[in-house]
Amino acid sequence: MTIRRSWLLVLLLIPPALAGQQPDLQEQMRTRGLPDELVAQVTTVAADATAQGLPADPLVQKAIEGWAKRVPPDRILAAVRQFRLRLHDAREALMGTGHPDPLGPVVTAAAEAMGRGLERHQLGSVVDAAPSPVAAGRGLRVAAALTAQGIRADEAVAIVVRAMRQGQPDAQLLDLPSVANAMRARGMPPGQIGQRLMRGAGGAAGAGMSPGQGGRPPGVPPGGPPDIPPGQKKKGS
Amino acid sequence: MSERDAFSSDAHRYLDGGPHGDLGGEERRDADRLLDGIRAYTDGIGAPGPELTDAVMAAVRQGAPVPRRGGWQWLFRPQPIRVRPVWVPLAAAAAVALWLVARPVAPDVTAPVVTRTATDTVFVRFQLVAPEADVVSVAGSFSDWRTDAHWMTKEDGGVWSITLPLPVGEHQYQFVIDGERWVPDPRSHAQIDDGFGGTNSVLVVGPKGVVQS
Amino acid sequence: MELSDGAVVRRVLDGEGELFRVLVERYREKFGRYATSLVGDRDAAADAMQDAFIRAYDSLDRCKNPDRFGSWFFRILTNQCHDTRDRQRAHANLGEVDAVSHHETDTEVERHELAAIIAEALGELTPEQREAFVLKHVDGRSYEEIAELTGTGIDALKMRVHRARDSLRATLGARL
Repeated sequence: MTIRRSWLLVLLLIPPALAGQQPDLQEQMRTRGLPDELVAQVTTVAADATAQGLPADPLVQKAIEGWAKRVPPDRILAAVRQFRLRLHDAREALMGTGHPDPLGPVVTAAAEAMGRGLERHQLGSVVDAAPSPVAAGRGLRVAAALTAQGIRADEAVAIVVRAMRQGQPDAQLLDLPSVANAMRARGMPPGQIGQRLMRGAGGAAGAGMSPGQGGRPPGVPPGGPPDIPPGQKKKGS
Repeated sequence: MSERDAFSSDAHRYLDGGPHGDLGGEERRDADRLLDGIRAYTDGIGAPGPELTDAVMAAVRQGAPVPRRGGWQWLFRPQPIRVRPVWVPLAAAAAVALWLVARPVAPDVTAPVVTRTATDTVFVRFQLVAPEADVVSVAGSFSDWRTDAHWMTKEDGGVWSITLPLPVGEHQYQFVIDGERWVPDPRSHAQIDDGFGGTNSVLVVGPKGVVQS
Repeated sequence: MELSDGAVVRRVLDGEGELFRVLVERYREKFGRYATSLVGDRDAAADAMQDAFIRAYDSLDRCKNPDRFGSWFFRILTNQCHDTRDRQRAHANLGEVDAVSHHETDTEVERHELAAIIAEALGELTPEQREAFVLKHVDGRSYEEIAELTGTGIDALKMRVHRARDSLRATLGARL
């Protein structure tokens, strides 16, 4: 996983015109057993994407996924090409909403979000409300997940935007699909889930119940992780 | 808070269970309403049932040796891990990871979860009911879609499971039965189109793990 | 013959791990409603209690006074409940009661609504006020008992309970 992450960093840092990373992408595909012809074809699409300022790594991942799933090569290629188009559309959409140079991961997140029904202006809303590019990517993914869970797209976006505007920590944002899932497991319909999350996004902070406020009672007894050395007592047990 | 909203000491004594004495009409009425409300609320409050005790004991058993006064075991003892019915949110620690991978999870599926440290990796437990399968693995964006990277363990009742350290964020995956049949995870957050005519299960993992009821 | 908390703790520390069950059962019953009320949701409270018991087991050798296991555990549990509640609150309105059956009478519906209002009003108290209020009115404990459990003085406790009541009065007044 760490290797992939630094890959993305590399992609972000190197100017789009540079096609030097293509051999690495090829290597990745070959290692996973993709046939030479498919590797060459996907590389072309990837290079094309890079030249347009789009992230190439997700395209390669898609190809690898297809191969792992034993999808016929021509179908894999078709899917990769379609993904590239969607990345292109996503980038256009983001630029159109006033973000002239969106980062790769944000574009990818936006592309997937569009695939699940979010519209251009909705992408823009999320990115606008995000305090950082990382948060933007996360916000888009959470909004997309919520939509895929049956919540109306505009409601999902509103929930995410509100959460980010209120400065909720990433942890809470990323918890949203889990919470929605838990509610669904209890039989709550998506409409109601959406309402609850909406109210939650606004209500919790308003009632002053954000973590850290209100003052915990002192003297918390120790109950911590195993790396507390033996014999070292925490205060207040 | 305005004076009007504060109960008098007489009212408080009444609310403590004392006589209503000379309590004024409005105050008496408010106090009674509060008591009614409390009663209605309290009637709906139940303690967790005895299954909690079983869950705790299962966790405690499965965890580590009993804490000893000597204390040296602390260094070597892995933290017990809580398994909620489906998901396992856990703190990441290399030692714990090794322990997890090496140690099969007991069938009765309840073990404690540990403190959450502030890291970017969280343990998540995957489960699939597939009594007929010979082998099951999970393949996804976190494993380059390798079908042989994460083999799951079969437990009683035909439940297959595995616990993996995943970075925070979104993950797509499927289960792979007998090396060739790709099936979605009904307990995932969502199913999405994979672009090949099939679907992928989606999971969004926060730093504190995956919340499950 | 019933074992005291201290006796159980000492035996557990000496190797009889299974005896921990005695403490779990004892405090599940004693603090279960408190936990449910603090967290606002029974399932989440069960999780919080489970976590708390495991933490307690885990750090049992650091319980300075085994005879006062109850108070020591009470603190662990309270913190766990606050944690869980904060997390839940961030996502859902806990003031809502779960869907009621359609066959309820008007009185029952009214009681449900009243209960829901109280639940929501409790959410607006400070954590200390909520703890004290729940111990007093949901568990029905005496101030002396609460003082023993929380380590807080009786006067301070009374003040918290009084403030909680005043706050609830204001909320009820506004809502009904």
